[in-house]
Amino acid sequence: MKNKHIAIVTLLSILLFSLLTCLAIAGADSGNTNEGGEITCIIADSTGDWGYPSPHGHYPRGPGYVRMSLVFDTLVWKDKQGFVPALATDWEYIEDENAYLFHLREGVTWHDGEKFTADDVAFTFNYVKEHPSWWVDLKSLKQAEILDEYTVKIYLEERYAPFLNSDAGGLAILPKHVWQDVEDPAEFKEPESLIGTGPFKLVDYSKTHGTYLYEANKDYYLGKTNIDNLKFVKISEEMASTALMRNEVFATAIPPETVAEVRENGFVIINQSGNWNAKLMINHEKEPMSSKEFRHALAYAINRTELVEIAQRGHAIQGSPGLLSPTSPYYNPEIINYEYDPERAKDILESMGYGHNGEILELELITAPRMGFERVAEIIARQLEAVGIKVNIRSLESKTLDYRVMNQQFDLAISGHGGIGGDPAILNKVILGNFGYSANYTKNDTLNQLLEAHLHEMDQEKRQAIVREIQGVYAEELPALTLYYPTWYWGHDGSVDIYYTMGGIASGIPIPLNKLAFMEYKGNAEVPAATEAPVPGFGLLISILALTGVAYLVIRRRND
Amino acid sequence: MKLPEIGTYAIAFLIILALIFLLPRMMPGDPLTAICGEEVLVEMTPELKAELVHRFALDEPLWSQFFVYLTGIMHGDFGYSYYYNAPVLEIILEALPWTLLLVGTSLVLSTVLSIIIGIESGWRRGKVSDKFLLTTTMILNGFPDFFIGIILLLLFAVYLGCLPLQGAKTPYSDLSGINSMLDIAQHLVLPLIALTLAQLPGSYLLMRNTMITTLKEAFVRTAKAKGLSEVAVRYKHAGRNALLPIVTTTGVRVGIIFTGALFIEIIFSYPGVGLLSYNALLMRDYPILQGVFFIVAVFVILANFVVDLLYTKIDPRIGVDNTEYAH
Repeated sequence: MKNKHIAIVTLLSILLFSLLTCLAIAGADSGNTNEGGEITCIIADSTGDWGYPSPHGHYPRGPGYVRMSLVFDTLVWKDKQGFVPALATDWEYIEDENAYLFHLREGVTWHDGEKFTADDVAFTFNYVKEHPSWWVDLKSLKQAEILDEYTVKIYLEERYAPFLNSDAGGLAILPKHVWQDVEDPAEFKEPESLIGTGPFKLVDYSKTHGTYLYEANKDYYLGKTNIDNLKFVKISEEMASTALMRNEVFATAIPPETVAEVRENGFVIINQSGNWNAKLMINHEKEPMSSKEFRHALAYAINRTELVEIAQRGHAIQGSPGLLSPTSPYYNPEIINYEYDPERAKDILESMGYGHNGEILELELITAPRMGFERVAEIIARQLEAVGIKVNIRSLESKTLDYRVMNQQFDLAISGHGGIGGDPAILNKVILGNFGYSANYTKNDTLNQLLEAHLHEMDQEKRQAIVREIQGVYAEELPALTLYYPTWYWGHDGSVDIYYTMGGIASGIPIPLNKLAFMEYKGNAEVPAATEAPVPGFGLLISILALTGVAYLVIRRRND
Repeated sequence: MKLPEIGTYAIAFLIILALIFLLPRMMPGDPLTAICGEEVLVEMTPELKAELVHRFALDEPLWSQFFVYLTGIMHGDFGYSYYYNAPVLEIILEALPWTLLLVGTSLVLSTVLSIIIGIESGWRRGKVSDKFLLTTTMILNGFPDFFIGIILLLLFAVYLGCLPLQGAKTPYSDLSGINSMLDIAQHLVLPLIALTLAQLPGSYLLMRNTMITTLKEAFVRTAKAKGLSEVAVRYKHAGRNALLPIVTTTGVRVGIIFTGALFIEIIFSYPGVGLLSYNALLMRDYPILQGVFFIVAVFVILANFVVDLLYTKIDPRIGVDNTEYAH
């Protein structure tokens, strides 16, 4: 009798647990790429919710723009190789008038059946100039002029080199008949706010669950997409590879450490580096970091190869002191590279009165628990200590770190930013600007002039030459040191060849979900068969055991 | 309930409101820079910045912002989210049902379980079964809340694959009625177990200790001497009297369990207010943070209020004039 109750309670708990497990099995999920003859591509995302996918409604982040770009088109777009026609079939820059002439595609209809014309394009440029968006800065726009039903001329205030890439290639064209009376575009969330010309229409969006469901636009002007539905579901970064290998999703970003396993299971891996860089921020307003020689010494003392091999486990490219990565078409390989040379660093430091024989210098290195920065900080601290600089590491919450960098309340800091795979206009922001990730360095006049010049150089080759020169001066001044460019991976099942867009989607978003990729569905032919439904018997077994146990006890008790 | 007690609740509530308002603003970094965050492609033009500063009243002095906040709350207006670009109440109300489902079920489950095993364990003090339960819960107690969640997730969702990896339901599964409920239950299993196991040790230990103390009381001996059945003595007499501390701490536990849910929701990507506030914290989205803190505070205060009422039912001595028992 005495032990019976505890036994029953324990058994009941197990029973409850296993019943729940049973419940789970009852609803065992299927859901891969083929549902009732319709082809559905499911994409995993660790954040899920990126906002309402209208041009002003999505959150100010790349993935939000990508979700919007499925519904809305721009004048020009990019694929693997570079610019391709979208709503404009061709375009030219008219030097004398400082204007772009766009010939628009005829026969394009909006999702509601209305005809797309030059009127919509001119309207959009003027509307967004008036209602600024996060993503497209139309400061260079003077006016948009309609020449005829399918020709538009865009006049610029000043010569502005990034216009084609970031403005014409980033501005989602809106239907005038829907938006002309909309006062607050961010809050306009009626169904007609998602009438675009793009290859997909939004069927559902759930902010709470972070999911999106799109269906193909059968009347898309580049032909019908070969998939019927596109879904975005929320799956954490840690679980993404598992979900992919269980065929629950078609494509997902995956962490570097799972790449080998995912590849072994027959999935396609694509990767990209050189869009994002981790930087050692140096407070060049404060002694002794204000001395250029001292900053050079820091660069010689830091072994960037070791950072790549140990902190990033090889999943990165070593940083270039000129900021842009070797994968960029603007990269300058002929700049000073500060190869690891601790002896030289010591010499410089000693000549300045620091180091082992001089005054012991103590610096604080602030970092944040994100993207493996803390590991990087530890290695740098060790490397700097080897040349006689004592480093105190302090880990801060990342917004606090940004705040302290912006307000020059630091000695050294680890930070980083993306965007360097896109238009080099980003250099102005990350060198001159005052953000948590920017060098905030305006002391060098040559650098300032070059940065201004490349923005207004409409000749691509000449612009490239200026950007190369910028990297040379930047590397010499060294207001911050680019440490490495991490490699990012995506895995997919091969049914659609997703790819990284040349220079990133629109102004430079490094996500391999270019809408044009979905025009070519290849079927599941070379993909391994869906994995077997995994061990459904487990919960059932426990429940049966538990039930038997309870029954046995009840019977015994009756017999007592 | 007497007037002074209601006054105490009102004062507590006001202090909480002020803290809710001030705390997010004391963190370094302002929301405008946080909105851009690491996203360098965002074009924060001076015009856009000016518009945002004005829209979110960031140019107003602090006291004026506080006044706007208070009057807003009176009208059921919790403000407007910077990042989500939507009214705060709307966003929170979408997430709240999921948290209530998780926290509510877990609170009931952990309370009932801890009472039962606490009673049984206290009754059998020093025996093998008691030692086993005690050791198990002590081990559980040593783990951080999220650890159990990760272990469960790895075991059942990743290796065995019999439970879903993430979320609260299968997106766009076209399930309806009972199947849809099954789907939701299936997604609830792991977060619920993780949260319950994390909450269990504290109340179990409390229940066990009170049970042991109660068992030494004279009335238990009397009950046994009357020849009552063991179950009656254990549950009706000793058990019921040992319930008091558990009930009292339930109010406090509501707050703790909400905190626990924060970690659990992040691990399981469960779309409740915990995950919401975590994202809002990263974005320095003050209005969302204020809204979530407010709702949680209201729940904790309400829970304490209910406990106060319940208390008098379980222990009639409270609520009656206490002086009677002073001597």
